[in-house]
Amino acid sequence: MNTEISQLLNNKVSWLADCGPNDDIAISSRIRLARNLRGLPFPTNASPEQMKHVIATVETAVQKTSLKDELLRFDMEAIRAIDKQVLFERRLVSREFIEGKIPGALLVTGDESLGVMINEEDHIRMQAMRPGFQLGPVWDELNKLDDELSALVPYVFDKELGFLTSCPTNVGTGIRASVMLHLPGLVLSEQINAVIQGVSKLGFAVRGIFGEGSKNLGNLFQVSNQSTLGESEQQIVQQLGSVITQIISHEKNARRKLLESNQNFLLNHVGRAYGTLRHAYILNSEEALESLSALRLGVDLGMFSSIDLHTVNELFIIIHPAHLQKYAGKEIDSEERDVFRASLVRERLKNADKR
Amino acid sequence: MICEICNKNPATIHIQEIVNGQKKVLHICAGCAAKKSTEDPLLQGFNVAEMLYNLSGQFGLPFNPEPPHSHEHEVELECPTCGWKSEDLRKNGKLGCEDCYSTFKSVLDSALKNMHRGSLHVGKSPGETPDKSCGHIMLEIMNLQKELDELVQREEYEKAAVIRDQINKLKQDVNNQ
Ligand SMILES: [Zn+2]
Ligand SMILES: [Zn+2]
Repeated sequence: MNTEISQLLNNKVSWLADCGPNDDIAISSRIRLARNLRGLPFPTNASPEQMKHVIATVETAVQKTSLKDELLRFDMEAIRAIDKQVLFERRLVSREFIEGKIPGALLVTGDESLGVMINEEDHIRMQAMRPGFQLGPVWDELNKLDDELSALVPYVFDKELGFLTSCPTNVGTGIRASVMLHLPGLVLSEQINAVIQGVSKLGFAVRGIFGEGSKNLGNLFQVSNQSTLGESEQQIVQQLGSVITQIISHEKNARRKLLESNQNFLLNHVGRAYGTLRHAYILNSEEALESLSALRLGVDLGMFSSIDLHTVNELFIIIHPAHLQKYAGKEIDSEERDVFRASLVRERLKNADKR
Repeated sequence: MICEICNKNPATIHIQEIVNGQKKVLHICAGCAAKKSTEDPLLQGFNVAEMLYNLSGQFGLPFNPEPPHSHEHEVELECPTCGWKSEDLRKNGKLGCEDCYSTFKSVLDSALKNMHRGSLHVGKSPGETPDKSCGHIMLEIMNLQKELDELVQREEYEKAAVIRDQINKLKQDVNNQ
């Protein structure tokens, strides 16, 4: 097994395991910046030699920043498909990045809070991620890394259009800020479509947990800015922040109302999900995610004293196919995975109960 | 779908709620939602319209994504630096190199307007936070651009010409910095 991958699997993932503000509803806050090097075509139009040159240049630069001592490195051409999938399930890389056939690399800190993708759609895609709703600190951290890097490599920058990116949807600030929200209250009370429409009207995108095109399984939603030009990074982050604050208060309201007027419905919903997770012997990923969402709601509402949020958060990630196979220690097909998933979930919840 | 209250505007807000075990759905337009939000208990609880109006007021600029233009009558272009063609841009919506931004300027200008809230960068420049760079001038240019668009729409071309000259002068200042 790739040693860096096993290091990841054994590490404490900061954005899953640490507490953050509003983490009953907001799971994590993430910001990404897109940057390109002057004088070289974008990865969309570069030769393999040019991309290798980009990797060498960016990597040398990142190794000179304050991150240098804690970096793990993944060469996309060298690692196995299942290891790429693990990186994807941990939200460290995009689907485009692992499916691309071009030379690329990922540099990431051991706690997975800061990472740099080299040769995704742009030469540099750096991201910072923290638990809960805390876009401000995430921006400060990423901004600092960007400042450090900009002193080491020449960015493509235009006075009118800002940072030039391979796709014009990212031009200007190159910033994509997003918060992952768990919204079972709005889904159960059927208000979620209204919220999604309202939020899209304001120019913000709502996506599933794994980004573009993914279903919002487990009532997990990612809300992010779409416009990157015409406003400063701070403005964009603040606006997203006010949208998120509104959604969180609507979710809290919805949960309170369900508890007041529909208590039996709610208790039944959570209790049945717990029963499934605790006792099932075959569990597909869709059912697992739906049940985990209900369990998380129950934990938030104080129905389970022994299970903490981070046990549930972690289960949300490790029930995915590549992680399961890593824990199983071998490649297993989808039928076997459903059995293994059920036993892994039973085990984790049993251990939580004992504590 | 037409708004159930005014029967005039398209219904863009759909509110569903379970009331006494019965599913109730209301399809209304943003305007009626704003009016109704103060009186209707269904909307008081949730109030998406309020959220919409409060926030768009706060943001200043309305966000109006439009469907992409058809490219039928456009000239075929090719980037002299990297060889990227109009066809490549059409096919995957991406550009080949930094110079593509000037090569495909004619196509990009209107596309960028539909994608973003503004047409000029007001954020940080490499290694510099906005207050140290020329962010304030960019902001001024943006406001003037908005004014210019309104004047052109009202066909007040003389006033528009004055604003346009102001914009060009500011742009020159930025480039000479
Ligand atoms: Zn109406
Ligand atoms: Zn080009």
